[in-house]
Amino acid sequence: MTVEPNIIEVKNLKKAYGENVVLKDISFTVKKSEKVVLIGPSGGGKSTLLRCLNRLEDFSGQVIFENQDLSAASKEKLRALRQKMGMVFQQFNLFPHKTVLENITFAPIKLKISSLQAAQKKALDLLEQVGLKNKANAYPQSLSGGQQQRVAIARALAMDPEVMLFDEPTSALDPEMVGDVLQVMEKLATEGMTMIIVTHEMGFAQEVADKVIFMDQGQIADSGSPAYIFKETANPRTKEFISKVM
Amino acid sequence: MFGFMKQYYPVFLEGTAQTIIISIIGILIGILLGLLFVMMRLSKLKVFEYLARVYIAIVRGTPSMIQVMLIYYTLSKVISVPQVQFLGSGLDRVIPGSIALGINSGAYTAEIFRSGIISISRGQTEAGLSLGLSEKTTMFSIVLPQAVRNILPALGNEFISLIKESSVLFYIGVQEVTAQALGVGGTLYNFVPPLIVAASIYFVLTFLLSQLMQFIEKKMGRKYIQSN
Repeated sequence: MTVEPNIIEVKNLKKAYGENVVLKDISFTVKKSEKVVLIGPSGGGKSTLLRCLNRLEDFSGQVIFENQDLSAASKEKLRALRQKMGMVFQQFNLFPHKTVLENITFAPIKLKISSLQAAQKKALDLLEQVGLKNKANAYPQSLSGGQQQRVAIARALAMDPEVMLFDEPTSALDPEMVGDVLQVMEKLATEGMTMIIVTHEMGFAQEVADKVIFMDQGQIADSGSPAYIFKETANPRTKEFISKVM
Repeated sequence: MFGFMKQYYPVFLEGTAQTIIISIIGILIGILLGLLFVMMRLSKLKVFEYLARVYIAIVRGTPSMIQVMLIYYTLSKVISVPQVQFLGSGLDRVIPGSIALGINSGAYTAEIFRSGIISISRGQTEAGLSLGLSEKTTMFSIVLPQAVRNILPALGNEFISLIKESSVLFYIGVQEVTAQALGVGGTLYNFVPPLIVAASIYFVLTFLLSQLMQFIEKKMGRKYIQSN
């Protein structure tokens, strides 16, 4: 197997809200088409770390994405970099005043990445892939949570991202909806997308991850292959967490 | 009781037209200033935020009648508008008057916009930014359209108050409905009937406006739940 280059390098990332330090000196790398899953107890800093990767949160330290320092990027540069990092949120955050199709085509058209026709064609293809082509003209509020999340994934994919960031994508879903969303994510993983995923779905983590990072108290407490984290690790905090959630 | 209307209805029509025109101009200026000041109020630059707070505090904390007079007497010294008559009033009064209404309304509209913007979840902004959209595009294409839908009832209220408040322009000699009614009352030595006519005119105008706002509200609300 060829060694893929690093697509993201996080170096000494720190974040604090006033006195409250939430991320303490985080460093890790993500290779192209690698699947990295962040797990850990609530309040451990997983979501905050993910949100630092596309600078939705300010931080100190460095995030290098495709050899460019995101932390020092100008506004325009940051926008260009964000276009290549798709993000999927726990609360979906679809635009309620736009149809499903408009949700997906809005950014590519507005940013002059594609023409209206090309964007619509692509959006319909993506909707077909997530099994929602018949909902193109519906408004988000008429969809179930699982459907909304699949549209949100399609919206992020419409930008042709290099990396997809998932922030607890199934945590707000009814249990019977979780499977559909995970299935779409698995398919994306098999197609070679680079993915960084914060999740509580341990089965999914074991199956899809190349690397699992266990975060606790704002630090990377443990990391390694799924086999290592879920079975072999000697770290007592990891073991305790895994035993509670599995 | 209303027999005088046979003779005086053109005066009331002229006054009504004047009231409608100064109100529309006032509302438009109010919306523009409201947008400008809400952006300043929410700006990261403290100077802008402070200026917007001062503007809002002054306008809300002083009587509109005094504001109108101050703006009229100040503007008339600074810029000279030709003495053209428009619906029975000089443009040198109508223009500063409408601007004053707009400046007054802008403060309230800015606060209404602010309440709408903070009612939209931060996630909407984050979704926009994460797609690589600029902060401006995210605000104007994602947040504001949703905010406006939430604040339509409050905006309707503000527009209705502005129509009624426009009667303060009487003090600077704009011949709007109230001024015309008082004029007719003076001629007749009887103020009650013409004032009832004026009140009815305001009622019809504000009623029609509230119906229009309700229609827009329904129209904007319906599409949100459309399923196909």
